Amino acid sequence: MRESRRKPSPTRPNAWTRSRALVRDHLRSLVFSLGKLYRHPFATTLTLLMIAVALALPACMYLLLDNLQAVTEKWDDSGQITLFLDVGTSEAQVEDLRTRLTSIEGIEHIEYMSAQQALTEFRKLSSLEYLIEGLDENPLPSTLTLTPADQAKQASHLDQLVHDLATFPHVDQVQLDMQWLHRLQAITAVVHRAITLLGITLALSVLLVVGNSIRLDIENRREEIEVAKLIGATNRFVRRPFLYGGMWYGLLGGALALGLVLIVLFVIEQPVQHLIGLYHSNFELIFPDLKQSLALIATSIALGLLGSWLAVGRHIVRIEPS
Amino acid sequence: MIELQNVTKRYPGNREALSQLDLVLERGEMAFLTGPSGAGKSTLLKLIAAIERPTRGHILINQKNITHIPKRSIPNLRRFMGIVFQNHHLLYDRSVFDNVSLPLQIAGYSRAEISRRVRAALDKVALLHRDKAMPITLSGGEQQRVGIARAVVHKPAILLADEPTGNLDPELSAEIMQLFSEFNQVGVTVLIASHDLDLISRMGKRIVRLEDGRCVNGQARAA
Repeated sequence: MRESRRKPSPTRPNAWTRSRALVRDHLRSLVFSLGKLYRHPFATTLTLLMIAVALALPACMYLLLDNLQAVTEKWDDSGQITLFLDVGTSEAQVEDLRTRLTSIEGIEHIEYMSAQQALTEFRKLSSLEYLIEGLDENPLPSTLTLTPADQAKQASHLDQLVHDLATFPHVDQVQLDMQWLHRLQAITAVVHRAITLLGITLALSVLLVVGNSIRLDIENRREEIEVAKLIGATNRFVRRPFLYGGMWYGLLGGALALGLVLIVLFVIEQPVQHLIGLYHSNFELIFPDLKQSLALIATSIALGLLGSWLAVGRHIVRIEPS
Repeated sequence: MIELQNVTKRYPGNREALSQLDLVLERGEMAFLTGPSGAGKSTLLKLIAAIERPTRGHILINQKNITHIPKRSIPNLRRFMGIVFQNHHLLYDRSVFDNVSLPLQIAGYSRAEISRRVRAALDKVALLHRDKAMPITLSGGEQQRVGIARAVVHKPAILLADEPTGNLDPELSAEIMQLFSEFNQVGVTVLIASHDLDLISRMGKRIVRLEDGRCVNGQARAA
């Protein structure tokens, strides 16, 4: 600063002052465009709400799906094969069977529940106690619960395993409780695809909302743009504040969308807990983590920038002083 | 500094605004452009500022042919000149200082240099004390002076003005013309379109009279 003053005042700024001026103009545009939004609170709020709703809707659905997947994954972990043993199988026979099962490849974990334990469990969970009281002996079989290793979880492999297990001595019945889970996962995949498509559609609408707001803004400031061009402004210079305007729309709209998502989750949290409680399960609703929140806002900023870029690109070049 | 060679400008609808016009303004010269409305005064200024392009002929600014100047070079051409408009064309959402500093911001001057030059320009038009005011609070004459300060703040080689005194009373008009004359004295080439014959004849400068797109007083070149 001091040095440039000592020199005879340059008629034209050199590259260094120009690049510093460029940075300064970026900052000026950044602040100026935010001020513009602040000075038109009604129009700004309307636009931001439109953006927020359009983004919050797919974000909410995606999160709920995420939650559903988390629940089924938990079940998937316990996606097990249950061996119902013949009633009256002795502990020694069970121990023998257990040893043989351990040698089979693809079985990770074996858990034994004796008939007595099963009865206790049944009493605890059901209200049919009086039925059991009336019986002379325990009608429930002992069970062995096998957890297949991850790599053995393909349907074909499991079918083969179930088939083999049925031939073991003292095994009455083999039950694979996976089919409904597979169906649920297939449904989830379809819903996931549908939400993605919906998200893309709504992202397009965000582009249009931002593009239209910026286009109106450009139209309102036509005279200013003409003046700026008359005194030597480049298209790039004129464009800058509008692009930052789009960025602000994206940033603020995205933050608002995140707020809406959190509100929705808080509102449904209690009923969901209640619902899960009915299934004797405990499950914490998944809230968006930092990475997801940032991804939402980043997407929103990108859409805002792209929307304004589309509006500005066509418009600014066409506005010429006359 | 400004040279028009056989320039014709035809607008859509076949109306000829300028017909085979020749005009030369030497470096440091000051001239008035006059004639009835529709004679082509504004069109001539627009051609020089590359707002319009000629249908035929050539235009040279500072010995450079700008007849077919590419769009991306127009900003640089305009930074070489200052333009004053009849209706000021000020930006009403910014202070006087910000209005005047706009050409310097666009050209990328340092902040200290901007502040120094804007103050000098405002001082020149006697409005330094109003630098923080909004343009709307100023009188018509003051607004026009802000417009002039903005046109000269980047020390252009050429100063163009289209009816700069159009809305002002005679006394203020004379002041404004005096200002232009002072810029001319420090070497700026000045071309002013005005129909205020009384005033411009008192200035003792060259007068180019246009009628129906032609130069009628034969002064294509300074006498």
